[in-house]
Amino acid sequence: MKKMWVVTLTTYLRQVKSWSFVILVLSPFLMLAVSFGVGFISANSTASTDDIAVVANQPALRQAYIKVAGKDNVNTKVKTASAAKQALKNEKISGYVVLDQGVKYSAVYHGTSSMDTSDKAQLTTFLSKMQTQSNVARAKLSRTQLNQLSQQPVFKEKVQKQTGIAKQAKTVSFWILVFMVYMILMTYSSITAQEIASEKGTKVMEMVFSSTTAAKYFCGKILGVLMVIATQLLVYLIGGWASVLVARNLSMTKSFFASYGTLVDKVIGNLLSVNLLFLFLGVIIYTILAAFSGALVAKAEDASKAAYPAVYLSMIAFFATFPFQNNADALTVKILSYVPFFSSYFMPLRVINEAVSPLAVSMSLLILVISILGLTWYISSIYKGLILQADEGNFFQRFRRGLSYK
Amino acid sequence: MLKIEHLSKQFGDLKALNDVTYNVKEGEIMGLIGQNGAGKSTTFHSILSFIHYDGEISWQDQPINEKVFNDIGYLPEERSLMPKMTVEQQILYLARLKGQSAKQIKPEIDRWMNRFEVKGRKTDKIKALSKGNQQKVQLICTLIHQPKLIILDEPFSGLDPVNVDILEQAILNAKHDGAAIIFSSHDMGNVEALCDELVMMRRGEVVLHGGIRDIRDEFGKDEVFVTTDWARTDLAALPHVIEVVERSRNRYLLRLDEPTAGKDIFQRLSHGEYIEEFSQQPPTLEEIFRLKAGDLK
Repeated sequence: MKKMWVVTLTTYLRQVKSWSFVILVLSPFLMLAVSFGVGFISANSTASTDDIAVVANQPALRQAYIKVAGKDNVNTKVKTASAAKQALKNEKISGYVVLDQGVKYSAVYHGTSSMDTSDKAQLTTFLSKMQTQSNVARAKLSRTQLNQLSQQPVFKEKVQKQTGIAKQAKTVSFWILVFMVYMILMTYSSITAQEIASEKGTKVMEMVFSSTTAAKYFCGKILGVLMVIATQLLVYLIGGWASVLVARNLSMTKSFFASYGTLVDKVIGNLLSVNLLFLFLGVIIYTILAAFSGALVAKAEDASKAAYPAVYLSMIAFFATFPFQNNADALTVKILSYVPFFSSYFMPLRVINEAVSPLAVSMSLLILVISILGLTWYISSIYKGLILQADEGNFFQRFRRGLSYK
Repeated sequence: MLKIEHLSKQFGDLKALNDVTYNVKEGEIMGLIGQNGAGKSTTFHSILSFIHYDGEISWQDQPINEKVFNDIGYLPEERSLMPKMTVEQQILYLARLKGQSAKQIKPEIDRWMNRFEVKGRKTDKIKALSKGNQQKVQLICTLIHQPKLIILDEPFSGLDPVNVDILEQAILNAKHDGAAIIFSSHDMGNVEALCDELVMMRRGEVVLHGGIRDIRDEFGKDEVFVTTDWARTDLAALPHVIEVVERSRNRYLLRLDEPTAGKDIFQRLSHGEYIEEFSQQPPTLEEIFRLKAGDLK
């Protein structure tokens, strides 16, 4: 076990210390940070010129409006009509409102274009509210009369919101999941296959096999790659969780979470379920296949071609899910959700659509785990033969020769 | 002791090894010679269990499996290391696979690099070293865990004379420390200088096995190296001389059909006086090799 651990650790450290891994892991966060940054800068730069100023003959009236409109939308530094005029001229503000309080409340908007509709609605509401308060005060009405005058008609809207969100969540979760599986497989199939293929037929492998068994070496390699994948997933999980936490409290994304918070929670729920296990086991079985195809290349120089079998199979499974994303009950989906190499795509599809029993999920997982163990055992037993021989010939000839290298 | 008993290996129709039997004792150096395809590397691959074989191979009376891997130091025929690793990482990686701890090996690396006169730092990437220095690093990887059984496949190929001396010294030191050493070589000079025992192979079979001196003597002392002002034709006319080879001016090799004729030839050439060179010897290993392993048979 100690020697297997040496292989695992060496494979792991070599990968995670490489620049390509660091860039691979950090790139989504960098992109996220850049898009947040761009959004923040553009929001800030537009905010100042979109602001309006408020001028009033009574400071209390001005303050009351600023309180209603919010400090973010009003340039509070401009307090007088002349200052506002100058600011408008210098394009520091989009316009200014002059409020006047007498028997009647009045407001005049000065600007280079019409007042923004929402600002106008807000101002009108404010003025009517102030006017009503003034009217009531002047009319000297009793409490009962006041209550009667305050009666408003009732309008209620009842939408089946939860069902809509659940359906949306399923679609979003499905796409996130298949893309995650696909991207991870594409990346690590190549890394694994090239890592193994680069050792093909090299004499240093003879030194390695004079020190430990081929089975331990093979398992050590696979374990090393899986630790790299686990590291990446862990960084994504922690980083994703932190990003959601930050985004929930960030002023620019707060409104998004207010509208789609339930959807986001449902998507996270769909991902952090048994589907994550299918994703990880799927990555394991494809990694083993990639290692196997890496060991089958003719010579170390062909390492770049090594990942093809694993990559193609993964692509077939990936594209095969497309027609069924809204039809999880189809017979093809049911069959493929038990077939190793396909189940990592198809069983999560059924789980997300709640079209499967826990027993069926367990069966599929069991088949996948047994396949992984069987494949590992089989490849371990022929691995020395596959790696130590460097022959020309086609894929199947090399495969046959590898098996007979006894 | 390494015991090889009735070792045979068939690749399809080709009999790569046929009933090979010999032992290598601790503190002994065994040279394995033979033409390309004679079965030397196949023998090593069998010892290291890279291939399945018929017969018995044991080290200290145990079959060679993972339990005894830590006792073995193996240098493959062609040189190859992991180019992206540093010298230190490479040595540590292979040493740890031999059951050593990094703590044990780390302090040793500088000493071994000095001993083998490696031109480069331990922080250099393997690919940054010259071919010769990579070869030395590979040799350090083979020996640094102080193996008890050392298997070297063509260790001298591609080395310049200075590095040959360094390697010879390392092999002799390992022998002094009690290791059993087996190596293959095409260079009979190295074999003659180092080996206690010799196995010569031809087409998968052992054609000669024994001590170097015994093997040479077995072939009879039918060569006379002589320095004389006699003419070549006169030398050829001497009794029992079947061939005269001029080595340089006044220096000849006389081949005899009867080794006992040496005494008479000495008398005739020297007349009892001082003679600069007269040496009667058995054939060299090179000649025996050509005779037994090559096509000159």
